[in-house]
Formats: sequence, structure tokens, C-alpha cells
Amino acid sequence: MIQRKNGKNTLIDIFLIIIITVLIGTLLIVMCGAKPAAAYNLFFHGIFGNISSFSEIFVKACPLILTGLGCAVAFRTGFFNIGAEGQFYVGAMVTTMVALKLTMVPGILRMVLALLAGFLAGGLWALIAAVFKAKFNISEIIVTIMLNYIAINFLGYAVRSFLMDQGGNVPQSAKIDPSVQLTTLIRSTRFHTGILIAVGCVLLVWFLMEKTTVGYELRAVGINQRASACTGISVMKNIVFSAFLSGGLAALAGGIEVLAIQKKLLEGISAGCGYTAVLIALVAFNNPLGVLATAVLYATMQVGAGSMQRQLGVPSAIVNILMGVVVILILGKEVFHMLGRCRTLTAQKGEK
Amino acid sequence: MLSEILTIGFLTAFLSAAVRLAVPLIYGGLGETIAEKTGILNIGMEGVMLSGAFFSFAGAWFSSNLFVGLLCGMLGGLAVSLLHGFLSIFLAKDQSVSGLALNMFMLGVTSFLYKLMSTGQDYQQIDTFQTMAIPVLSKIPLIGEAFFNRDILTYMLYVLLILTWLFYKKTNYGLSFAAIGEHPRAAASAGIPVHKYQWISMIFNGILGGIGGAYLVLVQLGVFTENMISGRGYIALATVILGRYTPFGMFGAAILFGAANALQIRLQTIGIAISPFLLAILPYAITLIAMIGSIGKNTKPEALSEPYIKGAR
Amino acid sequence: MPLLEMKHICKSFSGVYANENISLTVEKGEIHALLGENGAGKTTLVNILFGLYTADEGEIYWKEQPVHFSSPKEAIATGIGMVQQHFSLVRKMTVLDNVILNLRGNRFVLNRAAAKKRLVELAEKYQLYVDPDAKVCDLSVGEQQRVEILKALYRNVELLILDEPTGVLTPQETEQFFEVLRSLKKEGYGIIIITHRMSEIMSISDKVTILRDGKQVADLVTAQTNPDELSHYMIGRALSGEMVLEGQPKEEDILYLEHISLEKRHRGKHLEPFDLHIRKGEILGIAGVEGNGQKELAEVITGIQKHTSGKIWLDGEEISHQSIYERYESGVSYISEDRQKDSLVTGMSITENLILRDYRKPPFAKGILTNRSAIMQNAAEKMKEYQVRASGKSGADTIVRLLSGGNQQKLIIARELSKQAKVIVASQPTRGLDIGATEFVRSQLVAQRNKGKGVLLISADLEEIMAVSDRIAVLFGGKIVGILNREEATVQKIGLLMGGITGEEIEKQ
Repeated sequence: MIQRKNGKNTLIDIFLIIIITVLIGTLLIVMCGAKPAAAYNLFFHGIFGNISSFSEIFVKACPLILTGLGCAVAFRTGFFNIGAEGQFYVGAMVTTMVALKLTMVPGILRMVLALLAGFLAGGLWALIAAVFKAKFNISEIIVTIMLNYIAINFLGYAVRSFLMDQGGNVPQSAKIDPSVQLTTLIRSTRFHTGILIAVGCVLLVWFLMEKTTVGYELRAVGINQRASACTGISVMKNIVFSAFLSGGLAALAGGIEVLAIQKKLLEGISAGCGYTAVLIALVAFNNPLGVLATAVLYATMQVGAGSMQRQLGVPSAIVNILMGVVVILILGKEVFHMLGRCRTLTAQKGEK
Repeated sequence: MLSEILTIGFLTAFLSAAVRLAVPLIYGGLGETIAEKTGILNIGMEGVMLSGAFFSFAGAWFSSNLFVGLLCGMLGGLAVSLLHGFLSIFLAKDQSVSGLALNMFMLGVTSFLYKLMSTGQDYQQIDTFQTMAIPVLSKIPLIGEAFFNRDILTYMLYVLLILTWLFYKKTNYGLSFAAIGEHPRAAASAGIPVHKYQWISMIFNGILGGIGGAYLVLVQLGVFTENMISGRGYIALATVILGRYTPFGMFGAAILFGAANALQIRLQTIGIAISPFLLAILPYAITLIAMIGSIGKNTKPEALSEPYIKGAR
Repeated sequence: MPLLEMKHICKSFSGVYANENISLTVEKGEIHALLGENGAGKTTLVNILFGLYTADEGEIYWKEQPVHFSSPKEAIATGIGMVQQHFSLVRKMTVLDNVILNLRGNRFVLNRAAAKKRLVELAEKYQLYVDPDAKVCDLSVGEQQRVEILKALYRNVELLILDEPTGVLTPQETEQFFEVLRSLKKEGYGIIIITHRMSEIMSISDKVTILRDGKQVADLVTAQTNPDELSHYMIGRALSGEMVLEGQPKEEDILYLEHISLEKRHRGKHLEPFDLHIRKGEILGIAGVEGNGQKELAEVITGIQKHTSGKIWLDGEEISHQSIYERYESGVSYISEDRQKDSLVTGMSITENLILRDYRKPPFAKGILTNRSAIMQNAAEKMKEYQVRASGKSGADTIVRLLSGGNQQKLIIARELSKQAKVIVASQPTRGLDIGATEFVRSQLVAQRNKGKGVLLISADLEEIMAVSDRIAVLFGGKIVGILNREEATVQKIGLLMGGITGEEIEKQ
């Protein structure tokens, strides 16, 4: 196989992928019976209309950044963790529990403890899959999916029993004390401190992966487990660490969502971001900074699509479709070159 | 409590539910077994089944004919598998990445199309395939009701299971298909057209997975809901591993999962004092534990999920 | 009428010619040898003939009819069978199933009973005994080779291609194998045999075609040539002389394996308890047919596999309980048999692979931070010293996957021959390398020996072992069956040991 990788081709690829994605998006809008011009107008208005809607991008991006980062860390080490959804729930649950029950600890300290406990719990939850893989060589894809369903059902149980708000009849927890909540940074928006935590995590993870010996080990194990083991790197240790970090980050997303947005625990709190995270990590080639950019881009599309849905009834599911299209196009981008080569070949033949 | 559980009536209903819940998994698992035997891991089975479910529903809704619905479901599943085949066979891409991407993609596509379909209408319900009791066999105590008072798709499944088993055990082509997943280069040296057979297996993967999804709509529920496969595709993957890549092993594993699921539903209906949410964890926990039990035997096709590139050095 | 003619075959990979204008003719009842170094293009040529690759240019004639094979299926249907260097057998299947796999004339439902009868008859006729119902993974390498030949004969081929068939056999087994070939020749089969061993060519072939760097350099009749002429054509230049082993090894041991053994839970090779010494300034060669515990021996010393009983002493200090990393730090270096799987992270750069052993120590690490400038400097120095050539502009940042086999091996040597190394375990260190790289590697190992370090050289190439070893130990069935001094070692003696005949038995004979 010919290895041809140059900047020009990559740029062409990106350009083609964007064009095709936009075309498909337009097609989907037309399928809904809406006028593309009106739809795009609403799309951009929804994004840039006012500061509150603009800040919504970052509110929506926050859990995606953290879960996407979690997936990226794991994928980079060759551990296919698609359990971000479950880890998110575990984090949300444990954070809520600490925030509600640890009343002897005051405000901010309790908040920090709650998030840390959530991180720890999510990390341990992901470790189950790491142990299955390292000890029994069972596919982590299947195990993490099973763990997702277990976590989701357990949350259903929790909000109806030990975490249920005693005052109400609804399956949700009591409201978390304002002193423990993550503060809103911009008035009349939902832009909160958690977003800064998420960005901080991105930078930390990037630094860890690229600039430290820990990251060197993780990357080596991700590319070639056998050679890493034979030259004295502990594969088990690295998979366990990456699973823990990965699960912890997803769980932190859950904790932040509870403390900053919902202010209580309820079912369906992740809104599926644990699964979207998988796509985000893939599009970002598992690069932490790429995850940040992709998550923000995705959230932007979501916000814009949300406004289209409200006004025109165009289902916001098109964002999911387009994201899938992008991954498939990235995987299938050789086809562009093949088509290109066919055309040059026919052209050459024609000249002869 | 225990006496309530151990009545014939309870056991009959329990077994019956176990089989009913297992059928979609067995269809998906059978399709996956065939694919993995030729070395193609289709993590996208969830998407295949979801596509099958949606298109069978749409087909049956618009044509008012269940068989048209079934055909549409098969084609819907097929389309996803062919896309996976394109990425993993033709372009030799990472099969896990491709499968995961297709799952997310199909979740978006089916939700989108369903919303388009259902605007302005409320509850869309279609007829379902009726059960047809097989004379004599269905009267066998305990298992008769469970296995032989069923619908046409379940009966078809029995036939398919036996045919698949015979195919791999007894036939020339079965041997060739199985050799590809073990050692594609050896298969190619023996003159087996590796890619062609992988494509064929992906066709079966798509059609069978599509029927698995369609079964939920056309037999069990009569409706489509967003993300209605809810993990069954992944569980089908687990049953293939648990069943050690044989059709009947996979059948057994799926029945086990179905039974765990049926048990928790039964326990709920007799009003046991455990939260239904905790009971719902049971099938997943059992699957995980069963997977630990199944280790040690190396039955996985040796070249599973390694792309075969013709003429590579 | 020639059975097969290949005319003017050309094939290039990524713009480099693997075959350039090569022609070959084989008659019925002829054994035709293809001789050449690694990378000379022998395997490419037969892969084209067998339909695995497609030639860029050139024609193939079968019994004077032009043919074109786009897949092995067509080649087999025409009457060409091939036994590849790495066997094409499905390990989990039985011998019988492997033989009848995708056979033309199979009915849809297999008739295994009839097939078994025919297989047994065929095996009897050519004395290729093997149990038809055994699973391939339970067979020895020699038996697997018999299965491969039976598979071809069962398909009624008229031309048999054998790619390096004797690499996995003892000299005695090789002689038996040649008997089989001679009886096939008598039956009128055409045979193409690929090898780089002169002695075998002289003993079995009728004609020789020699390839060098993808070009055809000579066509000779075996009876009219001699090994010197063959090697002259194959190498194209004189070898730079014998390796010089300076002085004698010292008395004291650098490595001592005391009653070492390895048991595995599942099937697979074991090491039977044995003792082994390597002295300072000594190269100890390990000869033996592959799969007799060589890999296990190397991995037990380096710590990749934990031995079951016994002790390992390095320079008087017990290292049995040390991890892979600790053993490396103590002085055990490893040049593995499978460089791309076991020694290199091929998706990383040269720079990063060079610190795979030392990344956690200064100067490459400052605390948990990596020190980029020290790492870069290290890469520059090592690449210069060990003549690692990276193609393209990326230089030291080139991804290792893109390097040639020789450069990959130099990279491993550059990393493993570190200052603290006391013992170097080198497993098949020259496999797949061209002559230049091979000589470089051997001279590096000899230089280490001359510096007073110990070298354990595991090789399937008997000539290599005999060229550079101070002593030669033979592994058979996971056990050291004999140790010979350089002076007393002959191919004959080693060969018998490799076949499991112990020293005492040799003396009796």
C-alpha cells in the first residue's frame, strides 16, 4: 500500500468532508419540508442570537468535553471504553449523595469532596471492565455496555429509594444546597465554573499525554501492548490507570451536571452524552485539544439545531446523523483519492 | 414465595417469556456468528437491528402488510451491514470504530425518520404476526408452550439454526467460511475468495440482524420507539462469545439471557418486594458472570477483526 | 515441452523493483532451485506464479499455453501447488479438513470418509505419515510440513513450489524430506525449491536460478557448478572475511541458569529442567529446530515469562524474582525474534523507540516530565553510531513502521546494547536482513563478546551459529541435549542432537 500523507491531501479531505456533511444536512432539512435558507438563518440566530444562547454552547459542551476526553484517554491506550454513559451516571449519583448527605462539611469544601468522590467512583466503575479485560481477556466493549445498563437501572432505583426527595412523589433527589452548587459566572446565563474545570482537565490531560513519562507509557501500550510488555512496561498498570482516569473524567461530567445545571439527581440526566462522547473522541483522533474543539463544535450544532427544532420542527436528531456521517467519512476518505486517481487515469488514457 | 414460583403455570409462562425475549438476540447472534466466522467483527449489530426494526415498522405501516414489513426490515439491516462491509472489508478500517460509528449513525437516522413519519399523528400501532400452535408438539408439558406455540419467525429461526449448524459441520463451503476467520492467508492460498465470502457473510449478517430488529416490531410490540433495541445488539455480541462461536452455543446463551430477563419480569408481576430497577440489573449481571465462566477455552476465530489485505507483504 | 515458463516478469512495490525482468523455465521431473539472499525477490516471484501477487509485466506459459492467474484458486486449478515458508494451515482444524479445504470436486456435503481413505493412500505412497484426525496445532513443525505437501499432492498438482522448506527441519529430517522430493521427481512432478543453502542446492537440484536485488544474475546446471560459484553470484562480492573472536572467554560465569524449568498450563512448549552457563566474553550459540523451546528460553531469561522452578544468576547475583525492567537494569538486554511485535512500537517514531527502555530515568525524564532535548540528542547520537538510515525528511521523527527491516534491527541494537548490558540475548538477530545488515549485526555481537560481555545467540541458521559461537548448545524438546565446543562442533554432530539423539547415543554409534 502506498503511504501518501501530505498536508495538501489532508486539507482537501477536511474540505470535502465539510462540504458533504453540509450537503447532507441541507438534504435532511429539505426532507422535513423546511426551507434551507430559513433553517440556516434560525440555526445561526439560535447560536449568536444573544449571550444566553451563545453561552448555552459551552453549557452543552461541558459534559461532552469531559466524557469525550475520557473516551479519548482510554482509546489512546487501546482500551475501548464505551461506558462513559454509565460512568457519568455513577459520578452523578455519588456526587449527589455526598452533596446531600455530608452535611457536617461546609459549602465549597463539600462541593470539592462531592466531585472528587464522583470521580473516584466513576474511575472504580470503569476499573471493573479493565479487570475483565486484563484478567480474563473479555472484550471491554461488551463489558462497559453491560455496566452502562446496570448503572442506569441502579440510578432508577436510587432516585426512588435512598436518594429520593422525601418531600415529593417524583423520582428525583432533593435539591442540593446552593452553597454546594457550582456557581454561575455570567449573570442571566447558565455559564458555570464547571466549564472552566472541563477546560482545565483538557489541558492537564494533554500535558500528561504529551509531556510526561506517564503519557509516553500510555501511548506505547496503546500502540503495541506486546512490545511494551516485552520491554518492561506494565500493560496491566497502564490499562488500569487509563480506565480509571477515563471513567473518572466521565463521572466528573456527571457530577458537574448535577451541581451546576440540574441541582438535583434525576433519571436521563446524561441525555446520551456518554455515547456521543465516543464519536467526539473518534472525530478528534483521540487528541485532547481536538476533543475540546469537536465538543464545542458539536454543542454549537446542537444549540443551532435546537432552535430549528423549536421553530420549524426539524428534528435535532440530524446533529447525531451528521456526526455519524463525519466519522464514516473520516474512515472512508480514501474513497476520495480513489475517485481522484480513477479520474486522472481516465484523463491520461484519453490523452494517449 | 418459593411455592408460588415453582408452580407449573409459573414455569410455563416463564419459559415462554424466556424464548420470546431471546428470539431477537438469537437472530442477531446468528448473523454475528456468521460474520465473525469469516473474521469480521460487527460491533454495529445494534445499528443493524435498529435499522431492521425501524424499516420493518415503516414498511408494515405504509403497506399494511407484515411480510412487506419483514422484507423492508431485512433490507434495512442489510444496508447497515453492507456499509460496515465497505469500511471494514473494502477499506480495511478498524472494525470496532466502524461498528460504533454505525451504531450512533443509525440511532440518529432512525430517530430522525421516525419523527418525520410520526408528525401530526399520535400513536402508531401495527398488527403483529399471530402465534400458530404446532399440533402435538405444543402440547408437551412445560416446553411445548414455550417452543411450539409461537409465530412464524420463531419457527423459521429453528430451521435457520439447524441449517447453519449443518453448514459449518458438514459442507464444503462451511469449511471454507470458517477457515477465513482462522487464517485468511491460508484460506486464500487454498483458493478461497476471501473478500467475496466476507461480503456474503455480511449479507447474512445484515439480513439476520434486520429480522432480529423486525421481530421486536412485527411480533412483540407492533410499534417503533426511538432507540428501541436498547443494547440487544451488544448482548447478541456477548451471546456469540458465550456460545463459543457455534450456533447452538449462541442459542443457549441467548436463552440464558432471555430467562434472566423473563425471571425479573415474572418476579415483578407476582409482586416481589424488590425494586423492579434492581431486578432489571439481573440479566446484565448474569451475562457478565457467565462471561467470566466461559473463559479459558480459546474458541475465538484467530484472525477476528484483523483486516485481510490481498497482496500485502 | 516445458511444464512452466515465466518470461520477463516485473513487479515493483512502492516504486522499488522486487522482480526485474525475470525468466524461468521448469521441465517435468526437474527440481529447479531458486537461490538468493533475503530480499532478492525469490518469494515475490513464486507468489506471482501462485496468483498471490499480480505481475506488472511479463507472461506465464503453462505447457506452452499462456496463462494468467489472478488468484491461487486458478493456479491450483491449473496444477500448481505451493508450500509457503509460513505454513498456510488452519490450526484449529484437523489434518483432513485442511487437506480437503476448498477442494475442487468436493460435493456440497463433504464426504470425509472417502477423502480420508484417499489421503491415507497418498501418505503411504510417499511416506508422508501423519494422523488425518489430529488437529494441526497439535502437530510438530515437520508433520505440518507433510500436511502441506499432502495438501498439494491431493489436488493433483504437477508443479510444486517449496519456499524455504528446510529451515524448520534437522539435517537428518532434511535428508528424509529430500528422499520424498526425489520420489516425486521420479513420478514426473516439477519442483521449484527456494533456499539460500548451498549444500542443499548441490544435493537436490537439477538447475539453479540465482536472483540478486530483484534481478536474475545466473542460470546454472547444478552438475556443472560448485558452491563457490553459487555464492559468488548470490552475493556479488566477497564476504568481508571471518568474524574475529579475540582471545578466550573468561572463566567466571556472567549468566547461570540453575536447574531452570517452565511449565505452561495450557498446551504449548515447556522447558525441562536444565543448567546453562554463559561465561564473560563468550558467545553461546543455541542451535535447534525452531519450536523446541528457543523462544521460551529467551523469554525466561529476560523475564517475559516466569520460570516455574530453578534460579537465574547474573554476575553472581540472583535475578529470578526481578521484573522485566529490573532485569534490563541489572544487565539483561534482548534482541527479540519478532522485532515488530516484541521489540518496537512501530507506530511511534525512531526517537521514541530509542528510549523505550530508559524513558523513566534521567536524562530522558525529569521527575515525571520528559526531556525532549536529551531525547533528541540521544536519537541523533545513536542513529549516527549504528548507521540507522531514516528515509525522507522526518529524520529521527520518522515512524518506525516505515523503516526497512535492517534499519529496524539496527534501532533495536542501538537501544539494547547499552552501557549496563552484561548479557545480550539475541534471538534470530539476522533473520530477514540482507547481507550488509547481517554482517553489521554479527560484528556488533562479536564486538560485545570481545568487550567481555556474554551473548546468547539463538538462531535457526546453523552456519551463523557455527561462524560466531564459542560454544554451541542444542535445544531439543525444551531441553539442552548437548553442548559442544567450537572445535568439536560439526554439522553432523549438531544435526543429530537437533533431532533429539543425545551425545551418548552418538558415541555408541
